[in-house]
Amino acid sequence: MTRASRTLDRTKPPETPPLPAFRLPSVYETELPNGLKVMLVEDHRLPLVTLRLGSPAGSKFDPAERPGLAEATAALLTEGTATRTARQLAEEVAAIGGTLDASAGPDSLVLGGSALAENLAKLLELAADVTLRASFPEEEIRIYQKKRQQELRAERAQAAYWADEKIAEAVFGSHPYGRLNPTPESLAKLDREGVSEFRDRMLAPNGSVLILLGALPSRDETLQRIRQHFGGWEPREIPPPPPPRFPAPRRALILVDRGGSVQADVRVGQLAVNRKHPDYFPLVVASTLLGGGASSRLFLNLREKRGFAYDAHTTLQPRKDAGLFAVVTQVRNEVLEPALAAVLEEMDRLGAEPAGEEELADVKNYLSGIFVLGLETQNGLANQLATVKLMELPGDYLETYTDRIQGVSADQAGAAAGQYIRPDDASIVVVGDASQILKAVEKFGKPTVIKAE
Amino acid sequence: MGLDFHIAFEKYQLANGMRVILAPDHSVPVVSIYMIYGVGARCEPKGRTGFAHLFEHMMFQGSANAPKGLHFKLVESNGGTLNGSTHPDYTDYYEVLPSNKLAAGLWLEADRMRGLVITEENLTNQKETVKQERRLSFDNQPYATAIVDHWPQIVFRNWSNAHSLIGSFEDLEAATVEDVAHFFKTYYAPNNAVLVLAGDVRPAEAKELIETYFGDIPPQAQPPHPDLSEPELVEPRTEVYRDPHAQVPAVVIGYPGPVRRSPDYYALAMLDVLLTGGESSRFQQHLVKGKQSVVQFEANLGWPFASSTDYKDPGHYTMFLLHDPAIPGGEVVEQAQAEVDAIRKHGVSEAELDRARTFFRATRVNQLQSSLRRAMLLGQYELLDGNPGWINTELKEFFRVTPEDVCAAAAKYCVPERRFVLEIVPARAEWAQEPQATGSAP
Repeated sequence: MTRASRTLDRTKPPETPPLPAFRLPSVYETELPNGLKVMLVEDHRLPLVTLRLGSPAGSKFDPAERPGLAEATAALLTEGTATRTARQLAEEVAAIGGTLDASAGPDSLVLGGSALAENLAKLLELAADVTLRASFPEEEIRIYQKKRQQELRAERAQAAYWADEKIAEAVFGSHPYGRLNPTPESLAKLDREGVSEFRDRMLAPNGSVLILLGALPSRDETLQRIRQHFGGWEPREIPPPPPPRFPAPRRALILVDRGGSVQADVRVGQLAVNRKHPDYFPLVVASTLLGGGASSRLFLNLREKRGFAYDAHTTLQPRKDAGLFAVVTQVRNEVLEPALAAVLEEMDRLGAEPAGEEELADVKNYLSGIFVLGLETQNGLANQLATVKLMELPGDYLETYTDRIQGVSADQAGAAAGQYIRPDDASIVVVGDASQILKAVEKFGKPTVIKAE
Repeated sequence: MGLDFHIAFEKYQLANGMRVILAPDHSVPVVSIYMIYGVGARCEPKGRTGFAHLFEHMMFQGSANAPKGLHFKLVESNGGTLNGSTHPDYTDYYEVLPSNKLAAGLWLEADRMRGLVITEENLTNQKETVKQERRLSFDNQPYATAIVDHWPQIVFRNWSNAHSLIGSFEDLEAATVEDVAHFFKTYYAPNNAVLVLAGDVRPAEAKELIETYFGDIPPQAQPPHPDLSEPELVEPRTEVYRDPHAQVPAVVIGYPGPVRRSPDYYALAMLDVLLTGGESSRFQQHLVKGKQSVVQFEANLGWPFASSTDYKDPGHYTMFLLHDPAIPGGEVVEQAQAEVDAIRKHGVSEAELDRARTFFRATRVNQLQSSLRRAMLLGQYELLDGNPGWINTELKEFFRVTPEDVCAAAAKYCVPERRFVLEIVPARAEWAQEPQATGSAP
């Protein structure tokens, strides 16, 4: 031990060097003649490879009367192909130490896979088989339908399901972004024709991106295998997304009556911007000041100071054509009124009073650090790379992310809050036992009351 | 099958008894600080259920030189994440930071081990927070109360094992500042703790920092170990819980499990992979798909508070199955039992077991990408086994399990005569009795 370390002052936090500049692992990019974009990243820490195949085929392309179609198509891709039953697929995936499943978000449908590195060739073969030749067997559709109906029933038992569903609907209106889940009716209608048609209409190499990360063989060999399996995928014209029209922000007040709730689940939300919008980074900083982490204004006020809630945070969900900002908290029935008032006050104060220098620096460091931490695993990096391509972000988006966060001034964050975090324009959703909380909710206006069932 | 990975680490001990494990890997500029204490909910005395968890909250309320709020602020403003969690046999805390912020995290952990601030005001505030957590995570959720409060009472006879980990409001209220101070002195001593640093850490620099911050924290008498023994004879039991929040019924099935690290432990873990590991597992293929009776399932040694990695006997091999309301819970239990019995009677092919091994290895390799996950395994294996090296060698033990071992373990452990069952039924009868699960719901 050195003398210097012995005399260290233990009463103060140690001085540490500033955050290092982040360097993205090197990414090789190319494109197949059919338009499929390819990204390769070498990572030889562990004998593992990770795959993403993303397509702009999310739930916003669901026909209005069939919410859940993209989700169902994604889930059923891996339930049988022209030459493999669902069970054969499951066994072949397990035998390569792998995973292979697809899911759909609002904007895109993503097939994710992984395997022990020596099995890359097989992983690519299986990924191509389900992407190009999924057969959607009737029996598997019936199994999925029944299982999803039960799951939906279980989800609808949770307060958060109603809170999230109703705030999205209030903010996005009749745009498909306003529907997060299938309905019992749309699930009842699910059939092979609908799923096949969605796949045929929406999945194409043009617009899609294939990402491979991990302990890859030589680049030539990797590319040769990709061409072998995906080169024959026929390009086709993809239909345009629904027009990005959303209702102007206005205060809606919705009470979802859930009998027996011992607390109230609250969302206060408003329409926000996508990642490409110039206000995006200031809004990220503003949202984090308000409710990101355990040092945020909402957490300190609602949990640490007043003891109203265990959890109080904000969420900013950028989608391709718009975004959703919301405050999320769950409070005891008897303190709902002061807690909701405190949320609105903090939202108001965020736009009115610019952040202090230290508060702002802390939040920007937090955001920069979390971003780097998220790239520790192959899944973390693969998801970020897929986002850049599928959201059509600039090529340097990841490399410049921390710089752009650090570049936000207090005034910019305040201005973004003043525009997108406005208590008078934000919609309020409260899920709880109406017999206990109706009076408290009525202090904020006349609520629309819906039954949670 | 080759293991083809090796997590390099070194282990040493400070003069005050604190064990330290350093596992450098410089590929990403991130370091995980993992502090694990040998105290959990099973150490709680009667009348103090939920105390270990309440205490975990107190660890974030300020220490001698880090006033309330600084712990969160310092970690987050340095771009890191943190948390703590309470388990039956240990309580752990972590900070994941950009690697050049290591000193800040060590300073925080040392400051609270050296001198936690325990005041009436903080205690009152955290009692409220814990009650609120209980309302959010348990009382307002389907299944949670049945699993956390009732299930342990069904499967355990010894109070230390059977009581609720989250605790009752009554016991939480009764906790005093003196209780907290006594608990701190007894259990939060350097000689009852393991510190792990994994990720982008330079050992020489780390050792110097650790010595500076932790070296002169005084050790305490070794804390007492609670008697956790359970009676040899198992009386099978089935109970029904009417859940006010559940819409879909579920069954929990548990069998008293083996001694940790015994040959049976490895065999049961492999049996679990065969039954419930992934898409190709027997439960997925036969119950979710074939019979279509099960909607979702999970299972593990030590479920719901532990997994095979931190399972500590006495404990159970436990399954949780969400099922079709049209099928009675008892029938689902028999279907699950029939899957176990099929392995017991007809055995399992080498090919199927090989697939299970591959699944197991891939799952582990995936986890090891995360420095926090590496740190957790090293710390838990040191605390529970006295040997962090299991991180590199245990796969061999799992792979050594033969088809015969799996059958023998199924016959010895997973039989109806040793079975506990909790049927969770939606309290709202219209859901429970609906004859058809398909079709449109309201």
